[in-house]
Amino acid sequence: MTATAGQSIWDPEVDFGTPAVRAADTVSVTIDGHQVDVPAGTSVLRAATEAGVTIPKLCATDSLKAFGSCRMCLVEVDGAKGVPASCTTPCADGMVVSTQTDTVRDLRRNVMELYLSDHPEDCDGCARGNCEIQALAVQVDAAEVRYGRPETRADVAHPQPIDLSNPYFAFDDSACIVCSRCVRACADIQGTFALTVEGRGFDSKISAGGTDFMSSECVSCGACVQACPTSALQEKSVVALGMPTRSVETTCAYCGVGCSFRADVQGEGDDSRVVRMVPSKNGGANEGHSCVKGRFAYGYAAHKDRQLSPMVRDTIDDEWREVSWDEAIATVADGFKALQAEHGVGSIGGISSSRCTNEEVYVVQKLVRAAFGNNNIDTCARVCHSPTGYGLKQTFGTSAGTQDFKSVEKTDVVLLIGANPTDAHPVFASRMKRRLREGARLIVADPRRIDLVRSPHVEAAFHLPVLPGSNVAFVNAMAHVIVTEGLHDEEFVRARCEDAEEYLAFIADPVHSPEATVDITGIPPEDLRAAARLFGEAGNAAIYYGLGVTEHSQGSTMVMGMANLAMVTGNIGRDGVGVNPLRGQNNVQGSCDMGSFPHEFPGYRHVSQDDVRAIYEDLWGKTLDPQPGLRIPNMFDSALAGTFRGVYIQGEDIAQSDPNTQHVEAALRAMDLVVVQDLFLNETARFAHVFLPGTSFLEKDGTFTNAERRINRVRPVFASKVGRDEWDITCAIGRAMGYDMSYAHPSEIMDEIAATTPTFAGVSFARLDEVGSMQWPVYDDSSTGTPIMHIGEFVRGKGRLIETVFVPTTERSTRRFPLILTTGRILSQYNVGAQTRRTANNTWHPEDVLEIHPADAEVRGIATGDLVDLSSRVGSTTLRAMVSERMPPGVVYTTFHHPVTGANVVTTENSDWATNCPEYKVTAVQVGVANQRGDAAVAQAREPVETHA
Amino acid sequence: MSGAGIAPEARLGNDIARQFAHLAPNRAAEAIAVHLETFWDPSMRRRLEALVAAGDDSLDPLLVDAAGRLATHASRAEPDAQP
Repeated sequence: MTATAGQSIWDPEVDFGTPAVRAADTVSVTIDGHQVDVPAGTSVLRAATEAGVTIPKLCATDSLKAFGSCRMCLVEVDGAKGVPASCTTPCADGMVVSTQTDTVRDLRRNVMELYLSDHPEDCDGCARGNCEIQALAVQVDAAEVRYGRPETRADVAHPQPIDLSNPYFAFDDSACIVCSRCVRACADIQGTFALTVEGRGFDSKISAGGTDFMSSECVSCGACVQACPTSALQEKSVVALGMPTRSVETTCAYCGVGCSFRADVQGEGDDSRVVRMVPSKNGGANEGHSCVKGRFAYGYAAHKDRQLSPMVRDTIDDEWREVSWDEAIATVADGFKALQAEHGVGSIGGISSSRCTNEEVYVVQKLVRAAFGNNNIDTCARVCHSPTGYGLKQTFGTSAGTQDFKSVEKTDVVLLIGANPTDAHPVFASRMKRRLREGARLIVADPRRIDLVRSPHVEAAFHLPVLPGSNVAFVNAMAHVIVTEGLHDEEFVRARCEDAEEYLAFIADPVHSPEATVDITGIPPEDLRAAARLFGEAGNAAIYYGLGVTEHSQGSTMVMGMANLAMVTGNIGRDGVGVNPLRGQNNVQGSCDMGSFPHEFPGYRHVSQDDVRAIYEDLWGKTLDPQPGLRIPNMFDSALAGTFRGVYIQGEDIAQSDPNTQHVEAALRAMDLVVVQDLFLNETARFAHVFLPGTSFLEKDGTFTNAERRINRVRPVFASKVGRDEWDITCAIGRAMGYDMSYAHPSEIMDEIAATTPTFAGVSFARLDEVGSMQWPVYDDSSTGTPIMHIGEFVRGKGRLIETVFVPTTERSTRRFPLILTTGRILSQYNVGAQTRRTANNTWHPEDVLEIHPADAEVRGIATGDLVDLSSRVGSTTLRAMVSERMPPGVVYTTFHHPVTGANVVTTENSDWATNCPEYKVTAVQVGVANQRGDAAVAQAREPVETHA
Repeated sequence: MSGAGIAPEARLGNDIARQFAHLAPNRAAEAIAVHLETFWDPSMRRRLEALVAAGDDSLDPLLVDAAGRLATHASRAEPDAQP
């Protein structure tokens, strides 16, 4: 590994003008005397750039299809008439191109003079160096403008006020050349279609639908800003800070898409500051796109609320006292040792975080297993995708999704269940929408009418409003139709699956028919049958799902049901198909891979496996416990029983994110030593005795693994603001407890992971720096991994078809609690909001609201904006209502981003039977008009809600 | 509603038992026992056994049967339970 890998002096990425072409055949062309071989279909503009020949361009950029409007990239081709635009002209074998003839030079100069005739001389971007016009004018020798040039922005043809409505970027119409890059980026890359060109000729202008950006359909992904060749669309941070001086390649720390970014930075050392985040074109997950969180909401890393010094206190009623790292670590180690001496080895444990790197997570589980001497290690994946791990391990043999994101480009029918990707996984949603616009069909199974049901140029073939809690009945009905109507893939089932006969007999039973289950699912049988036929008859059908699947009492069963559906239709083991969990946090996949579950070592190997345990016992020099440890909810129960007395919590705010807040808080209060390691004094820290400051993703050095098993490097933009790295703090606790765990660099931790985990055998920092990213399994150092799994054979050999019996949840609506609450998240905020609430993203979602159907609202006298009480059998809170026809009658919805709301005050202890993933999606509640915020909500409003970019 | 007033091990165990109730009783109890061995901390299994010994009437009969098998089972390397 080199210290400078992924870091460089700032230089704009090369723009090849048009997208790369994926073709096996190549053609050879000669451009200004340079011969170059390119894939057939490549534009002359791109071929020229690849050959090192620069052709001037304005409307072309390699993230967008050629448009051919600016007339700057004109060339001459031997034997051809005219001066074609090189962006729209494909290379032909033997073609000879000239880019600098007198004819094209004259034409370009004339065109540039026209552009400059309405581009102000005092353009800020030109002065700053991020407006391409000025440099291009020099390049095409258009210093003199025969038609005159406006001196200031007030002198352009139709001066408009600068649109400053968006908190992150400004639109200055005077600098706009109406090249349509922004319009096309919004349409083709993001798929939102918020922008258009109004008027013609000199009257033409870019418009956000006739209003300002903030009031428009714009989702603030920033694709338009990135595409803009002038400074018409410009990040406010660049306006305020100026241009960057260096760049660092790293990975986003929000959702499980795992976008690659180039952090553009000014300064060195402690003076470093991020100017902007630019999504990397070479990022395997995002290919140059981003969302409002990843691109803009990074300001929390430097927020004044960050606690940068360790703190201790004797009781949770005492004031915090700042101490040295040595004292804090000694307090932790001595406290844990004392608890074990008094209450036993199993009286303490740890919780790792899906926000942390693989290396940080690995050392936490090592600390617990080797230094604590037990398996009481769990992770926040417990409360989101643990059923995915269980269900896919049971059926396919490994706990991960089957495809890469690119696979959706080959999908004919998408079955989207319990996921809202335009809000929760927006960059993947853009990729999916692109495929849908190309003609793929979409089936949405979700109680809510999510945006993908009908949005610009996308309309679901079916929206199946499955009732909360009935997923297994729904997926069984889908499979029933497919099997009983002979739409299943008999050859695939016979050759690649086991227990087929029993499963086919089970699923063919009429009790699973759409007609027999309509009262359970709420889905009209004719719609379900038609959707099943669409799925069963598709060439490539793929299942994508989210927490609307997993966070149920039968979450694991539903995952297995979806695996059954994929197997009986033969939709496994090639592009365009598969079972695809959309992971919630940036490193959920990685934290699970790294042995964060109490029953598994890294690589999903059970702790009772003697041969696996021997690997770690030999390396770690400790005898390891062969029995599973406690899961997070088990830790809470054991704390209340008095047998679990201390916990080390890394980067998870369990007091806000976990269900039944009163129960969680009581458990935390019952413990003798709660150690919280986080960026901020979060809700959980209210119950902590030791606070260890953590590091943001801009300070971390390590790897994240995204939902497609892609391992990406995370590189530090600046040094740790707390003086130590998180992995080193964890190791220090181990050493202070008498167990030597030391590494000189996080790359050594990955080396240990690779040496002990077969699926990571070929992974190292050096190889990641060399190839960019890898998708596990990576069995050796000659491979970059496995984008598509289970080709030819499942990891477990044959796929296992499992009888998935529907068992209704015990959580049901009653006369007292007649509505069902389901929870989720929104585009601008992220989980408990600790990060996004400390950015200007609060502009879009300053508080959690309760969505309620008009009929349910009317009978309760509720109007949009009213304060309402939301109560369940375990608690109540107060929030504002939003009457919405997106909800079905009888179901209400809210998010959990704000502690002032405390949505988890009302969620219950019910959980998935196999994994104890909380049943967040089904809580029986009542809603009524409130006069003021309830005491519970006010008491929880401890964190300030501020907006800082 | 489930959960109010009963021991966590009874609540969680009953949730598991309900998933296997469609199987023949002997097979169901065996599958439940395997699941408990594979995923439950030994202290929870001991508390479940104590509930059985105390005659806790909130326990599903299949769970009681499964708990009785825990003592005779060796811990297993891999789960082999059918849901």
